[in-house]
Amino acid sequence: MSFLNPLLLFAGLGVALPILAHLLNRYRVRHTPWAAMQFLNRSVRVRSRQLRLRDVLLLLLRCIAVLLLTLALSRPATHNPDGSWLPGERRAGVIIALDASFSMQQGDGNSTRFQRAVELIGAIGERIHTGDPVSLVLMGGESRVVARNMAFEPARFATILQQQQASAEVLDWDRVPKQLQELAEDMSAHQKEIYLVTDFQAQTWNRPSTRLLAAFKALGESASVFMVPVSGGPENLAVTDLDLISGALRKGTVARYQATVRNCGPSPVADIEVQCRADGVQIDNKRIPLILAGSSETVSLFVPFHNAGPTRITAEINGDSLHADNVRRVVAVVRDRVSVLCVDGSTGDAGRLITAALLARDDGTEDDNYVVRSVPWLSFPGQDLESVDVIVLANVPEITPDQTEQLVQYVRQGNGLVWFAGDRVKVAEWNERSAGRGTEAGKMESPLLPAVIGQLVDSSDALGAGQPLDPSMPDHVLCRPMRSLPEDLLSETRFLKRLQVEPTATSFPVLNLAGSDSPILLEHTLGRGQVVMFTTSAEATWNNMALTPVFPMLMQQIITYLAGREFEQPRLVGDSLSLAYTEQPDASDAVFDSPSEQSLTVPVRAYRNQYVALLEHAREAGFYVARVSVQAPGMPIAVNVDTRESDVTCLPESELRTRLEGTGTTVAATEAELLSAMEATRTGRSSWRFFMFAGLVFLLLECLFADRLLTKQWSRRQQPEPSPAPAEVAGDA
Amino acid sequence: MSEQLPQTNYLDPEVLQKLGDLELIAREVVEGLRVGTHRSPLRGFSTEFAHHRQYAPGDAIRNIDWRVFGRTDRYYTKLYEAETNFDCFLLIDASSSMNYASGKVSKLEYAKFLAASLAHIVLKQRDSVGLSVFDSAVRAYLPPRSSMGIILQIDRLLRDIKPTPRTSIARQLHDIALMMKRRSMVVLISDLFSSVDDILGGLDHLRFDGHNVVVLHTLDPYELKFPFQGAWCFEGLEGEEPLTTQVERIREDYLASFNEYLQALRDGCTASHVDYTTVDTSLPLDGVLSEFFFKRQAAMNGARL
Repeated sequence: MSFLNPLLLFAGLGVALPILAHLLNRYRVRHTPWAAMQFLNRSVRVRSRQLRLRDVLLLLLRCIAVLLLTLALSRPATHNPDGSWLPGERRAGVIIALDASFSMQQGDGNSTRFQRAVELIGAIGERIHTGDPVSLVLMGGESRVVARNMAFEPARFATILQQQQASAEVLDWDRVPKQLQELAEDMSAHQKEIYLVTDFQAQTWNRPSTRLLAAFKALGESASVFMVPVSGGPENLAVTDLDLISGALRKGTVARYQATVRNCGPSPVADIEVQCRADGVQIDNKRIPLILAGSSETVSLFVPFHNAGPTRITAEINGDSLHADNVRRVVAVVRDRVSVLCVDGSTGDAGRLITAALLARDDGTEDDNYVVRSVPWLSFPGQDLESVDVIVLANVPEITPDQTEQLVQYVRQGNGLVWFAGDRVKVAEWNERSAGRGTEAGKMESPLLPAVIGQLVDSSDALGAGQPLDPSMPDHVLCRPMRSLPEDLLSETRFLKRLQVEPTATSFPVLNLAGSDSPILLEHTLGRGQVVMFTTSAEATWNNMALTPVFPMLMQQIITYLAGREFEQPRLVGDSLSLAYTEQPDASDAVFDSPSEQSLTVPVRAYRNQYVALLEHAREAGFYVARVSVQAPGMPIAVNVDTRESDVTCLPESELRTRLEGTGTTVAATEAELLSAMEATRTGRSSWRFFMFAGLVFLLLECLFADRLLTKQWSRRQQPEPSPAPAEVAGDA
Repeated sequence: MSEQLPQTNYLDPEVLQKLGDLELIAREVVEGLRVGTHRSPLRGFSTEFAHHRQYAPGDAIRNIDWRVFGRTDRYYTKLYEAETNFDCFLLIDASSSMNYASGKVSKLEYAKFLAASLAHIVLKQRDSVGLSVFDSAVRAYLPPRSSMGIILQIDRLLRDIKPTPRTSIARQLHDIALMMKRRSMVVLISDLFSSVDDILGGLDHLRFDGHNVVVLHTLDPYELKFPFQGAWCFEGLEGEEPLTTQVERIREDYLASFNEYLQALRDGCTASHVDYTTVDTSLPLDGVLSEFFFKRQAAMNGARL
C-alpha cells in the first residue's frame, strides 16, 4: 500500500486527542466525603458502570473515526494487479495533450484531424472517474494549459473540450515532454496517465531526435504514456512565400511580387490558381499548370499601388483541404513620394552615376513623386533632411560630429542611409565620428556605420582584372532582383579596390566578393531605419559596377528597401510583434488588434534608447493592426503560418511503434486498442473513498450516540428536580 | 453573659458556629423564639403560677386575670411555672455520617446547636433534660437534670467523641431505652442513614416503653437535593466503597431512591405515633424550632398539617 500524502499520516496522532480528553475528564473528578452512600450503592452503581461503558464506547468511536479519516486524507492505494482485500477503485490522474498545431486542421471527408482527436479524447474521458484530477493541454508553439488538475466532471470536461480549436501554430516537439513532465509533477495521483493525441507528422517522426526519444522515456518513468495517433491524408498545397521582387513602393507604381506554392503531398497537383488581392480586392490571378510531388513553383504577381499608405497584399490558393497555409500575406507601405538626396564628395562622377541609376526608367521621363537630387558634400549642412527619405553619401571625405548626430537621429526615425567609399574618404575621421559613443546611462550607442573602416585593399588579380561578386547570395531583399540575373552578367561586374572593414556586432554582409569573405555591401539597423554601406566606390575608379545593369537594379532595390517600413516584413505565428518609438510616447500602452478583432494592450517599455511595445506571441495568422494608442490610426502587420508544418503526411502506425520502441510508451491506434491499454495499465486501486465513508459513518455514529446522551441529560435538566416537598422540611415555611 | 449577638441573621448556623459558646447560642436561639410573632412553644407544659405580665395580642383570653383587671382596669395574663416532673431526653447521633457538611456547618454541629437550644427551652421551664450520645454504641448517657450545666456537657461530650461508623440505630435505641427509668419525651437528632426497618424498630421500642418520641431528621441540603455538577467521586464516611460518577446521569436515580426512603420513614413514624420532622441544616435554627413547635401544637390540637 502506498500513500499519496504520507505526511498526513502524522495526523493519526490526533487520535491522542479524544484519549487525552477522556483521561483529562477522568482526572478532573472532584472528591467529596459523602454520608448518604446507601442511596448510591444499588442501581446507581450499576448505572455508573453503564455510563463508563458508554464513555469507553464513545472514545472508541471517536478514535476509530479519527484514524479512518486520517487514512482517507493520506489517500492510500494498493498496486496489486491481482486485486486486494481492501476495497478500492481503479483511479488515475490523467493528463491529455492535444496537438493544436495547424496540421490538425487537415480535413479528410467530413471531419478534421482535430475533430477526430476530440472524439478520441471523449472516449478517454469515459474511463475517467468523476473527481479524478485531469489536465488538458493544447500543444502548439507555446503549449496552453486549458485545465490543470481539474476535478473531473464529465459534462464540464466535454464543454471545455468542445470549445477548443486548432491554432495556426507549429508544434514544437522539443517543448512537449518537458511541459508534460511539469504537469505530471504538478499532479497528485497514485497513478498518472498521459495521453498524447497528435497526427505524428512523418517529417518529425521519420527521424526523431534521440533527445526527444530520451525525453519521452524519462516521461514514461513518472507516468504511463499513451501515444494516440490521429491519421489523415497527406495531400496539401501551401503558399510558402510572397516576396517583393522589384518595383518601388510608391503611389502610382507597380511592384512585382513572387508567390511560391509548394506541393507537400505525394502526388502531383495540376492547374493551381493563385489569386492576388490588395486590400481585399483581387488584382491579379495566375495559374500554375503542374506542381510535382514535393516541389515548389513560383508565380509573379503584379500589384499596382493606387493609394499611399499601408496595403494588405495576399496570395491565396483554393481547393485545398488545409486552409491555414493556403494564403500568404504581406504589407506594403506605399509612399506618396520618395526623395533621395545624394551627397557627392567626389568630383561629381559619383553623384551623376547614382542619380542616373536611380532615375533609370523605360520611358526616361521624370516623375514628380520620385525626386533624386545630387549635391556637393560642402552643401550638405544647408539641406532640409525632413523631406528626404534616403541619403546617399558618396565618397564624402568626413563629417562633423554634429552631422553625425544629425544622421544618427535621421536614421533612427525610420529613414535610410547609403554610404559609398572612395578615394577622398578620410578613414580615421570617419571611424572617429561614426563610432558609437557612451551615453549618460553608461551604455554604448550603436555606431552610424555597420563596420569600422580599415585600409584600402587592392583586389585586382595579376591581369589587372578585379574580383566579381559572389553568386551565392543570401535570401535578402536586396539580393532578390540580382538572383534572377544571368550569372555572366554578375561575373562581369568587377571590383578593383575596396576598403577593408571590420563589421560591427549588429551588422551583416549582404554582398561579398567571390572567392573571399570580403564584404562589398553591409547592412545594419539603427533605430527604425537601416544603414547600407558599400566598401567600394560609386564611381568607376574602383570598379565597373556603376557601368553595368547591376548598379541601377541594386540601387533602386536599396531605395525601395530603405524607403520601406519595418512593418513590411511579414512575421510568423509565434513571433513577437513590436512597435518601436524613437521618443517616449504620450500613451503608456500600445494596442494590437488581432485578426479575430481582439484588442491586446501592451505596455511600452524603454529598450536600448528606444521605446518598444512588444506583443510576445502572435497566436493567429492574418493581419494584426498595431496602434500607438487606442485612437491612433493602425499599421497592419502580416502574420503568416510557419509552413514547416505544411507537410502533413502522417507516420504509419507500424513505423511509429518501431520509432518509439524502448521508450516505454504505448501506441494505441484505435479506440479499442486505447481502452484495452488503459484497462491493462490502470492497476492502482485508490481506497480513500472507502476510508472516508467508513470514517464519516463512525463520526455520525459517535455524533448520534453523544447527541442521544446529551438529549437525555438536557431533558433531565428541564424536568423539575425531585426534592422533598417544602412543607415536609422543617423551616422551609 | 453580657454579649449580645447582632440582630441580623444571628441565627444562621454558620454564624452560630463562629460563636463557639453553646450556652450563649442556646439562649439566643430560645430568646429569639420567645419574642415577636412566635407563640411560646412551651405553653401547656406548665401549671404553677409564676407571675403576671401585661396582656399581649395573641395571648389566650382564658389566661387573663380578671381580678387584676377589676382592680387596675388593665389586662394582665397569668403565667405559670413549669412542672418539674417532666423529663426530656436528647439523643444525639454522633456517627461518622453526621460529620458531612456541604457548607461550613456539619450535621453534627447543627445537631449540637439544636440539642442545646432544646435543652435551654426545657430547662427554662424547670423541666429536666437528659442526654445520650451514640454512634456505633452508646458513648455517653447523662440522666435527666434541671441545671443549665447540661448544655456545657453536650458541648464537651460531642467534642471529645471520635465518631465511628454506625451499623444499626435500633440497637443503640434499645440500649438507651433500657437506661431510661421514667417515661420521658425523647428527641432523636440523627440523619438516620440506616435501613428504615432498623430505625423504626428502635423507635418502636421507645414508643412501647411509653416515651413520647420526636425525630428531628437532620439532613444536609446537598443530601436533600443532590445539586452536584460534573464528575464526582463520593467517598463514604462510614467506610463504604468510593463511587466515581457523572452526577447528572445518576441524580434522578439518587433522588428517587432518597425520596422513597424519606417517604417510608415518614409513613413509619406516622404509624408509630412518632413526631417526625426533616431538618435542613442550611436553615436558621429559630425557624426550624418554630416550625417544629407549630407542627407539634397543631398535631396536639388535632389539626391537619
